[in-house]
Amino acid sequence: MTLESTAPASAATSATTPQPGPGARYVGRAVQRVEDPRLLSGRGRYLDDITLPGMLHAAFVRSPHAHARIISIDPSEALALDGVVAVYTAKDLEWLGPMVSAGPMREGVVAQSRTPLATAIARHVGDPVAVVLARSPYLAEDGRDLVDVEWEPLPPVLDPLAALEPGTTLVDEALGTNNISHLEQSVGDVEGAFAEADHVTRIRFHSGRSTAAPIECRGVVAEYEDRAGGRYNVHSSTQMPHLLRMLMAPVLEVPEGRLSIKAPDVGGAFGLKCSMFPEDIVIPAVARLAGRPVKWIEDRWEDLAAGVHSKDMHCTMEIAATADGTMTAFRGHFVTDAGAYSSIPFTPLVDSQVAGAYLSSCYGVQNVAYAVDNPLTNKCQIGAVRGVGWVPGQLAREVAIDQLARALGKDPVELRLQNMIGPEVYTTPFGQTYDGGSYTASLEKARDAVDYAAFRERQAEAREEGRYLGVGFSPFVEPTGWATSSAAAGGLPNGFFDTASVTVEPDGSVTVTTGLHSHGQGHETTLAQVTADELGVPMESVRIVFGDTDTSAFGMGTYASRSAVLGFGSIHESAVQVKDRLVRLAAAMLETDHTDIELVDGAANVKGVPGKSVPLQQIALFGYFGGPARPDDVQRDGLTATSGYSPGETYANGCGAAVVEVDVRTGQVRIEQLVAVEDCGVVLNPTIVKGQVAGALANGIGIALLEDLAYEDNGEFVSGSLLHYLYPSTTEVPDLTLHTIETPSTVSVGGVKGVGEAGTISAPAAIVNAVMDALSPFGVVVEKTPMTPEYLRELLRAAESNGSAPAPD
Amino acid sequence: MESRQGTVAVELTVNGEKRVAAAEPRMLLTDFLRHGLGLTGTHVGCEQGVCGACTVLVDGRPARACLTFAVQVEGGCVDTVEGMAEPGALSDVQQAFRAEHGLQCGFCTPGMLASTEALLQENPDPTDDEIREYLSGNVCRCTGYQGIIAAVRRVADERKAASRDA
Repeated sequence: MTLESTAPASAATSATTPQPGPGARYVGRAVQRVEDPRLLSGRGRYLDDITLPGMLHAAFVRSPHAHARIISIDPSEALALDGVVAVYTAKDLEWLGPMVSAGPMREGVVAQSRTPLATAIARHVGDPVAVVLARSPYLAEDGRDLVDVEWEPLPPVLDPLAALEPGTTLVDEALGTNNISHLEQSVGDVEGAFAEADHVTRIRFHSGRSTAAPIECRGVVAEYEDRAGGRYNVHSSTQMPHLLRMLMAPVLEVPEGRLSIKAPDVGGAFGLKCSMFPEDIVIPAVARLAGRPVKWIEDRWEDLAAGVHSKDMHCTMEIAATADGTMTAFRGHFVTDAGAYSSIPFTPLVDSQVAGAYLSSCYGVQNVAYAVDNPLTNKCQIGAVRGVGWVPGQLAREVAIDQLARALGKDPVELRLQNMIGPEVYTTPFGQTYDGGSYTASLEKARDAVDYAAFRERQAEAREEGRYLGVGFSPFVEPTGWATSSAAAGGLPNGFFDTASVTVEPDGSVTVTTGLHSHGQGHETTLAQVTADELGVPMESVRIVFGDTDTSAFGMGTYASRSAVLGFGSIHESAVQVKDRLVRLAAAMLETDHTDIELVDGAANVKGVPGKSVPLQQIALFGYFGGPARPDDVQRDGLTATSGYSPGETYANGCGAAVVEVDVRTGQVRIEQLVAVEDCGVVLNPTIVKGQVAGALANGIGIALLEDLAYEDNGEFVSGSLLHYLYPSTTEVPDLTLHTIETPSTVSVGGVKGVGEAGTISAPAAIVNAVMDALSPFGVVVEKTPMTPEYLRELLRAAESNGSAPAPD
Repeated sequence: MESRQGTVAVELTVNGEKRVAAAEPRMLLTDFLRHGLGLTGTHVGCEQGVCGACTVLVDGRPARACLTFAVQVEGGCVDTVEGMAEPGALSDVQQAFRAEHGLQCGFCTPGMLASTEALLQENPDPTDDEIREYLSGNVCRCTGYQGIIAAVRRVADERKAASRDA
């Protein structure tokens, strides 16, 4: 991995020092992670590590059909098996409320209601219809295999475009339509721009069906205890404990105060674990029915067949341009193959809508229009997964821009630079206001990182030898710090904020609670860095507490590259209040004015008076037990404060670039170099930022080349294991070239922007463009991901047979 | 974990300690370690031998605990992540993973550590290509492998330097 940073001087000087000097700030420094010793020594506590007394184990009976009527379910053989305790079907769960996917509060969106276990119709392979409880997981699976379900297979709806046609079979008859959301927006004079254009480029692109597939599958452990009038304790591998509680409580028919959600260490999530799933409801419900705790651990087939899928989108993208290459209009149509259910809470709009709403990206195009449709099909539901619909949207736009460049005979980098916005605050045609960014600088840095001019020479020489190299670029803008303002700007108007409590304990140590959750991002480290800086205390004295609805105020959870921004901001808002009290307490103790006090390294000093100082422990003790000598608000509130935070719109940006070689005999793509230039504003911890970018790039490689959740023409699901659904491994991810630029946000506390998804957004389009560039002598047009060897050979064979291929050696 | 007929006692040495627990013949080594012996540091990612998260050392060689029956290891030696260092300490491999940010969520990590130990036993000074080849059976979804490869390189270099100094 090649690393290079362009960091602000204050951060850069301390970035390599393991321990800070007096007064040094933690933000910007590559401090080692607090969570690592636990995770490295096998002392992490993940969901399957939880065991409760008397616990039963659950296994789900699931549909083998894409679409089928349930004629009958006979559990008698299963129940006859020693060790099987119960079998429940939808009939046993009629007392539950419906699971409702309402989506954003706007016209054009249809709410969908479902039951956690299918009642009469199973709508996709893996749809759960019954659950078996037994005394061991082995016995539960034995019992599952003995439940006799009589099915009547129905014709499946598999083609999302056909599903939009009138008269098509309905996936959910109660809705009266397959299209659960149609939204469109147009700004400027799009029709006029296309009518007057010197050149129009139009592409179709099918972004393939992939998913997160974290190494830890999902899981739920639930108990119902006879306390407080009946209360559910649910352990869940979720990214968003409070939001999950809010979604689950009405289905379980309890007030939120009688449901607690605890999320332990979570073994990767990538958005997959920020939906509410049927199992989240079924497991607590059957724990109540059985009167015993129940554990369910998802297996890999269930994860792949019945979790959430992502990014399956049929895109049409058009660009209007003048003869000199000025892009004058963008027009896109984004159809998400939504699967059988509208995922809760984000719905398939998390893909299609964001592909459309951010279409203008880093380009100054003023005439922009999009339409999105979300037809239901008999496949797994589409939900939030890292990069969401930004990935297909980026693919559609950036592949089209390369095609425009080829059509105009212009250099693709120059064409992009010609049309890019400047670094200052900018409002897009759809009204998103970017908080400054390094749009052209990122592309130029990526261009230089691949040594572009030299590459073109190398490419020409290689072609002489019958080797096909290509380069592709993919500049992007990523909405981050998902909050009320950014959600509204993206056309998904719901409230998003977060809350942190900051407490200085009587001994001067600091406890922070938050509703955010960390599942690899390292919040125990970065949020402690932030807190330590805010209060002027050593990082080691700060503890970050999260993952339990009983121990923190309501928070929205971690997804959408939001936690650095929301965490920093909410901690800051609380910490300034506590700090103000500490300073006034110290002023009283040191008999000076509070404006003369500074908090540094766990002590209050009188500015300019060396030696006149009081340690935080003494201030805290005075704050708790100092009697009437303390300021009034300290007597009332102690040294704790809780504040929420919802930032203005903040957008990271950057550029991906890929250099590839395509073996035209096999269709195999080798990534020679993958570059990411990342600008996520002020960097909290450069090591963690680079780790996030590298991991996201690997996801992007998978999307571009490998990952494909495939259904046969009869709806059979054929990607149900990791032998079929291929991850990038050490041999598919090259040594990455990572650069950072820091353009501090003009709106967020600390100038921070999010970083979690950038690489996944940028890499696929860069790789597709590189492959198209490599194969340009063949006139090959790539129209989908993943670009498997089979697919590329199919394109090359077609090119060879129609004579557009160069003569073989 | 409650099981059916045919249960036998399986005795083996885990992390240098003699252990015995009941297992039915079909019980996987993963479940035996995790739920029979309470050694939950070994993780399960796919149960098909693909992801490598469950990798442990059986008689010093890396093995997929999810493809191994507990009864197959009767009388043998198993080393898991819990035994890599003294309590409260980290081994050189673990420290290198921390220094190079070779982990994020930590779920694949115990398997990565086991494979790394095995690699460096077989090949104390691997090239980066050899590291990539050896670890290609351990999948990480978080890191993009950059920190992992750097960590293995670091341990190899440190051990080489230490043996030169010795």
